[in-house]
Amino acid sequence: MVGSIREQSAHSAGVPLDLRIWGWLVGLLIAGLTVFVMPIPRIAAIGLVFTAAIIKAALVVRKYMHLEAEHWLLYVIALAPVILIVIMAVALLPDIAFKQ
Amino acid sequence: METTANIQIATRLGGRDSIRKIPAARLALWLFLASEIMIFGGLISCFILLRIAHGGWDAEAAHVHWRIGAFNTLVLLTSSLTMALACTGAKEGMARRVRTCLGLTILLGLTFLGVKACEYSLEISKGLTPGAGLFWAFYYTLTGLHSLHVLAGIILNTTLWIAAGRMQMWSLVQRRIEYAGLYWHFVDVVWIFLFPLVYLS
Repeated sequence: MVGSIREQSAHSAGVPLDLRIWGWLVGLLIAGLTVFVMPIPRIAAIGLVFTAAIIKAALVVRKYMHLEAEHWLLYVIALAPVILIVIMAVALLPDIAFKQ
Repeated sequence: METTANIQIATRLGGRDSIRKIPAARLALWLFLASEIMIFGGLISCFILLRIAHGGWDAEAAHVHWRIGAFNTLVLLTSSLTMALACTGAKEGMARRVRTCLGLTILLGLTFLGVKACEYSLEISKGLTPGAGLFWAFYYTLTGLHSLHVLAGIILNTTLWIAAGRMQMWSLVQRRIEYAGLYWHFVDVVWIFLFPLVYLS
């Protein structure tokens, strides 16, 4: 019930909210590109660029895909493969990346 | 039809609350998207691990056209906006806005593919084919697979755009546009990660 009310209010916010989210997405894209062309340490630049990417993805998923108003089960469905992939990558990292 | 499907899901989940919240089609679409996350996630994690193992592939990565990639990112982000506006329009029963926004989404998707094709031809003309090395094999696999998903989204949106022009199919469009939107936004999210991974790092 609470979810459906939240969903309705999200839809009634409609066009201005969608435009505001797009503004944030473009702003974050420009911020990422600015960091990329600036003369700062590479590791810091990569960290900032990926932080911007994660925020952008979270905005799209929560606002445009309306996941924030959805049932918890859909969060589990969406996050389970991400967690599995991170576990796989971390488990393989010592063998692949740091092999002598 | 929708009610029956909802009840089936509610029985499986064992809760009355779930009847309202998860229609069967939406649940199925999220399961499909989860399988897509596994496909792209597996490829992306392999790319990251092998890139670390091979010293970063800096020489190869210097040849990608990041300005073209940035333009394409802007195109896809804008297409997500038009798709979201189409979905909002459908919920408010505004058929004309739905058709306009869906049309814009299709055009932006085609722009993305056109720009990508030009980018590929630039790279291939320099001898940077999938056989030119591991970086390029990954580059073409990741971006090519993503482009195929964009193409699928364009086809899906085009069928809805045609249906939105017929009054008798309007209720069908209203139901299905949400799922087309979810798919399109997912394709956008994948590119949000591919762009810095391939072009900026």
